[in-house]
Amino acid sequence: MKHEVLVIGRGGQGILLFGRVLGVAAAKYAQLHVSATESYGSETRGTESRVDMIISDKLEEIDYIKVRKATIFLVMYPFNLEKYMDMISDNACIFLNATYIEDFPEKPDWKIHRAPYTEIAEKETGTIRTANIVALGHVVGKTGIVKPEHVIDAIREIVPSKWLELNIKAFNVGLNLP
Amino acid sequence: MKRVYTHGNRAIAEAALVAGLKFYAGYPITPTSDIMEYLAEKLPEYGGVMMQFEDELASINAIVGASWAGAKAMTATSGPGFSLMAEGLGLAVITETPIVIAYVMRAGPSTGVPTKSTQADIYQARFVSHGDYIIPVLAPWSVQEAFDLTIKAFNIAEYLRTPVILLSDATLAHLWESAVFRDRGEVEIIDRKKPKVPPEKYKPYEPEEDGIAPMAVFGEGYKVLVESLTHDERGFYIQDTMVQRRMVQRIVGKIIKNIDRVFEYETHYMDNARHAIVSYGTSARSSLAVVRDLREKGIDIGMVRLKTIWPIDEGSLRKTLSGVEKIFVVENNMGKLVWDIQRIMHDKEVIPVSIIDLDLPSPNEILEVINEWL
Amino acid sequence: MALIEKTKVELGKAHPLDKYLRIERIPTLWCPGCGLGVSLAALLKAIDRRVKEGVLDPKKIVFVTGIGCTARTSFYVGFDAAHTLHGRAVAFATGAKLANPKLELIVLGGDGDIAGIGGNHLIHAARRNMDLLVIMNTNFIYAMTGGQLAPTTPPGLYTTTTPQGSREKPMNVIKLLAAFEVNYVARGSSIYPQLLEQYYYKALGMRGFRFIEVVSTCPEVFGRHIGYRDPVTLYDELKKRVKVKTKPSIEESSLDWDRGIIIGEYIVNDYPGYIELIMGGKK
Ligand SMILES: Cc1ncc(C[n+]2csc(CCOP(=O)(O)OP(=O)(O)O)c2C)c(N)n1
Ligand code: SF4
Repeated sequence: MKHEVLVIGRGGQGILLFGRVLGVAAAKYAQLHVSATESYGSETRGTESRVDMIISDKLEEIDYIKVRKATIFLVMYPFNLEKYMDMISDNACIFLNATYIEDFPEKPDWKIHRAPYTEIAEKETGTIRTANIVALGHVVGKTGIVKPEHVIDAIREIVPSKWLELNIKAFNVGLNLP
Repeated sequence: MKRVYTHGNRAIAEAALVAGLKFYAGYPITPTSDIMEYLAEKLPEYGGVMMQFEDELASINAIVGASWAGAKAMTATSGPGFSLMAEGLGLAVITETPIVIAYVMRAGPSTGVPTKSTQADIYQARFVSHGDYIIPVLAPWSVQEAFDLTIKAFNIAEYLRTPVILLSDATLAHLWESAVFRDRGEVEIIDRKKPKVPPEKYKPYEPEEDGIAPMAVFGEGYKVLVESLTHDERGFYIQDTMVQRRMVQRIVGKIIKNIDRVFEYETHYMDNARHAIVSYGTSARSSLAVVRDLREKGIDIGMVRLKTIWPIDEGSLRKTLSGVEKIFVVENNMGKLVWDIQRIMHDKEVIPVSIIDLDLPSPNEILEVINEWL
Repeated sequence: MALIEKTKVELGKAHPLDKYLRIERIPTLWCPGCGLGVSLAALLKAIDRRVKEGVLDPKKIVFVTGIGCTARTSFYVGFDAAHTLHGRAVAFATGAKLANPKLELIVLGGDGDIAGIGGNHLIHAARRNMDLLVIMNTNFIYAMTGGQLAPTTPPGLYTTTTPQGSREKPMNVIKLLAAFEVNYVARGSSIYPQLLEQYYYKALGMRGFRFIEVVSTCPEVFGRHIGYRDPVTLYDELKKRVKVKTKPSIEESSLDWDRGIIIGEYIVNDYPGYIELIMGGKK
């Protein structure tokens, strides 16, 4: 089992936190091997933000640290989307934040999931800031990349207690999205 | 032992604590400051001291002083700071002082791109100071190895009474990975050799059979002499060719004599490989992907990855590479390690694959070059 | 050393202090009439008094020097000693002190070593009130390298690098250090060894950052440039200029070869040193 997870979005959308939570869940709780890089513009908000994460149950399978062919692709905001089209594997699971993205090309073996993460977050948790965790729930629910309880453990480890319940709620909402 | 998910810089800091670090001196510089920040918090809990100095000149000299006061000592910096440490590093060499420098490469020359990487400084790491010497340089390729090789760096430094450089880069500094961090008691930790003779008989630079002189430190009554001038075994300045030779021979010889402790490399798919990639550090991550791509296409290629990029055990490298036809040296600079490999493997075709990339060379770019030659 | 001439200075014979010397390296390589030997003898006497009082343990004393004639002191002392890099002694000593607070660190250097190339370390050690005794030998010239401009060179002096006469003003390190909350700043002179010994003695019993400037004679190099090559003449000339004052003010501290140089204790405080502050933090 080897996943190449690519997440893109806009600064301020919590892309990096998405990566940290998934990384901790996979590495520490699911005991998988993980390698991840984060990139972001020098300004915190408004520029492109990206996480590349390789997850595998075999250490030997991890070599290059960036995604070459994404098996899981999450778009929180359509930043330079064209740039990524060649980087999506033929049978990728694709997750689109429908709040910002309408059009997306189709390919026969792509499984495309759409949900307005930002709107859902606002409606269910009262803040758009949990949209990243709603999306994480959706990704975990649909791909089974790690077990939900591992993600909950990771959230508990990383997220400050003040925001904990909100994020767990957001995650559960995402988990149950169709 | 604990399972972690963390980045390269944190791995270095955690490993230093396990290795027994007691004194850290540094000056903030991207991309290393988080090593210092983390140790500022943690080192006091381990009975040590972390101090932010006024510059890198002070930092390197302070760790040499601290080491002579008996502490395991380190600093961390990147290119601009390391340039300033040149003279202090030489002081550590000539006084045979165990210290560790975590050198996290960033793009240069000069201020370059502070947050981004290349592997352009491998010669600066080896030879930044003047004079004759060998400073071991270890180059990790993963977070796990950043941890493991930092412990090794301390062990070599203490065992051989020498400065050791842990050469990371900006990419590894903030690469997040799963890893297993071992604790004291679960890894071998080496401490410097103490004198077995009384103070009257002690000479601070007199080697024992293994080539290494025991080290008395300040405050123990040995009246040690730390001497930056060329000196004899007592530490007395003597302007004499034979003394100069003997001293250089001692400084260089102890490393060569113990090369098995210092030099480390690993091979991937090298059994009966027809061609080989030689690489190190983060570039080797891309190289390994390239090897797999090519093997899928039926090309018999393997990889030799140097964990120690200086000194190189040339004999064992020659042996490992003796059966191959073409050797590709993949690195993230204008082509530097390739000079060594061309010299060591002078009877082979050695092809530079020098790709400058602010993160790390991508497998596709490497493949483009290699495909031209296959 | 600008000089090849070896001379036996008084030190070698000064019997009671032999225990603080590396006798096998005596005689020193310092020139006849050099103030360095006098200054060192005063320092060793002060150390001896503190040792006898039980305030200092000779085993814990560490001399740290940079490079220069003054810095050669570490050749000769019978303590742990480090002859390090030009300008870096303060940094080296700070590291040693932090790693083992039980050590008593004595840093010695020329004015070039301490206040020129090493000036930044000096400033920051003072800012931290770092527990060090720093002794700066002011001989108005770069002696070891043969007579170049020093931070303390009198204006107008012809040195090997100021063939038209120096256009720079000498550096008043006393006043510089007065900007910080340090514990001891004094200026003494090899002309008045007893007084110097008192300053050393006092500083050796204190905590925090302590600084003593020693206005000294370098007949060989400075003497040559200023025209008093003969050690006795230079000594007399300096004696004319050096004035002792019990409680001089910082305003009187300028290093003025022409109008006179005031020696005395400029700053005496008792703030907690850096070491106490960090140890306190540790509980
Ligand atoms: C980095 C470096 N630059 C220059 C020198 C050459 N150098 C040695 S001693 C010295 C100056 C000596 O003057 P000072 O420090 O005042 O000491 P003095 O000899 O007068 O006691 C210089 C420039 C050096 N050793 N290292
Ligand atoms: S300071 Fe001057 S007199 Fe003293 S040893 Fe150096 S050159 Fe000679």
